[in-house]
Amino acid sequence: MTNPTRRSIVAGLAAGFVPALARSATAEDMLKLRELYDANQNFSALAKELEGRTVSVEGFMAPPLKADIEFFVLTKKPMSVCPFCETEAEWPDDILAVYTRRGFDVVPFNRGIEVTGELSLGPRRHEDTGFLSMVRIENARFSYG
Amino acid sequence: MKTSMLAITATLIGTGAMAQDLPQADSAWFTDAQERLQAQLEAQPNTNTAKNVIILIADGNGVGTNYATRMFMGQQDGGFGDDYVMHHETFPSLGLVKTYNVNSQTPDSAGTGTAMMSGVKTDIGVLGVNSNVDRGDCSTLPGNEVANASEIFTELGKEVGIVSTARITHATPGAAYAHSVDRNFAATLPEGCNTQKTIADQLLDAMYEGRVDVAMGGGRRNFITGDMTDNEGDSGRREDGRNLIEEAQENGIAYAWNAETAGELPTDGSTPILGIFEDSHMSYEADRGDEPSLSEMTEIALTNLQAKAGDNGFFMQVEAGRVDHAHHGNNLARTVTDGAEFVRTIEMVDEMTNDEDTLIIVTADHEHSFALNGYCGRGSDILGLCMGINNQGVENTGEPVMAADGKPYTVGMYTNGSSSVLLEQPGGEFFGSRPVVTNEEAQDIDYVQQALVPRSSESHSAEDVAVYGKGPFAHLLEGTVEQNYIFHVMHHAFTAE
Repeated sequence: MTNPTRRSIVAGLAAGFVPALARSATAEDMLKLRELYDANQNFSALAKELEGRTVSVEGFMAPPLKADIEFFVLTKKPMSVCPFCETEAEWPDDILAVYTRRGFDVVPFNRGIEVTGELSLGPRRHEDTGFLSMVRIENARFSYG
Repeated sequence: MKTSMLAITATLIGTGAMAQDLPQADSAWFTDAQERLQAQLEAQPNTNTAKNVIILIADGNGVGTNYATRMFMGQQDGGFGDDYVMHHETFPSLGLVKTYNVNSQTPDSAGTGTAMMSGVKTDIGVLGVNSNVDRGDCSTLPGNEVANASEIFTELGKEVGIVSTARITHATPGAAYAHSVDRNFAATLPEGCNTQKTIADQLLDAMYEGRVDVAMGGGRRNFITGDMTDNEGDSGRREDGRNLIEEAQENGIAYAWNAETAGELPTDGSTPILGIFEDSHMSYEADRGDEPSLSEMTEIALTNLQAKAGDNGFFMQVEAGRVDHAHHGNNLARTVTDGAEFVRTIEMVDEMTNDEDTLIIVTADHEHSFALNGYCGRGSDILGLCMGINNQGVENTGEPVMAADGKPYTVGMYTNGSSSVLLEQPGGEFFGSRPVVTNEEAQDIDYVQQALVPRSSESHSAEDVAVYGKGPFAHLLEGTVEQNYIFHVMHHAFTAE
């Protein structure tokens, strides 16, 4: 596991691999993580437009940092470690912190889920773990994708 | 009339089979094959002494993966994919390579890299040493080093260049210049390890000593310490208080860290070149931002090597390192987009060199647990669903083939990995069913193909890889060979009289 600081940097620099597609701001469509960023690794126009609004994003639940925690990290692909090419986990560039309304049941990391909640941009540090996120879904609920 | 034309063709081609009047003789399949046959009959081995040797390795690009990239490039080109010809597939010589390591049926890139860069097989996970070492135990290193490509070819008077999209201290590039009892000793060593330097140190030593003239890739973090930040604000992994990048610049090595500074590098051969473009590995080609592509790095390296080496010649290793990483993530889309950039690089290298004096070898270090489904009709998207065979035409029916579970499936899948369809249940058991996937979902750049065996990361496999060659002594790359044999062909090409 990498330290929270590293993860927060990654989250802050989170790189969308493809510029956000030109699409209207609506929570009805399922967003992809990469649509929250532009080609310059900044928040996309779509993300700014949707800030504070209810959105749905698809992805995978990375194994939570610890039990009984109120947030988890959403990844665009199942979180994986390459035993023969890495000395430790390489976190992907585009991740999203998901703060649930209440506690949540952990879902296997390879089960696709759809998260719905309020899109929040800007830094927020989790008090207990020090995990700093730059983009979040807050008051979130999720279902199987 | 038709018969007489066939007879003329048969006379021109001059084979026994063509003396017969065959009803299929005017088929394009038939005539194309006859043309290929004629070309093979006329081929003559090139036994010139090689001035230059260039080996291009796509990490994880076994025969199956090579097929997937061919299909992808051909379909991007507007065709069905099957009949597309990637540049290295025009090379005259082809062999199959057995990739296992001494102590591992399934190989890794350190063992395979050492085989190709030193001429002997060794254990999994070690670089530039024989199989007498115990991985990770520095005390077992003395006496077990094997000479590597930068040492051997420098002694032959060749300049040496290394290019990779992985960290430049990673296994495949590292095998060309380093000796390490563990591939992971890139930035730090275990306490008490005093028989070797870190792999990053060894790269800079090789550059100072003139054994490596060009090194371009990723991995700045292995050259600076944790309390230092690199050109893009990321901290390092070293624990010795040193900044190897600054030291390199102070020692006259030209340095680049992004696309702009790469473009400003001198390529007249006057200065060694160090390009390190990311904190860790370079980006996948599909995600690439402010950094040069594999072909752009290779062009810079090749130009500089040609300028510096002149008639003395050079050796260059080029690695498409992230084909492997995308496979590890069960993400076929990035595998083939990096594979396509690898093919563009091969074509460029071929255009910039002369077959008369340059041996070009294209190969892989190992394959992955990537597998292909059937029965798919022509034109099924290699990234998408397996579509039905059209018995009334050529192109597929456009209707997905359904499995016994009533669900469609993709053309390419994995036998293991993080995208396993088996999910861990409370209590630790695994079971599950295949998610339904649409063609559009499967074609997405982030889609991860379904796998069976649950693993945190998809694995390599021991399946053979291909080796393609053109230029001096490329004809020796035929048959089914041990991987370390490739080194011996390169060495023979350099030294043949």
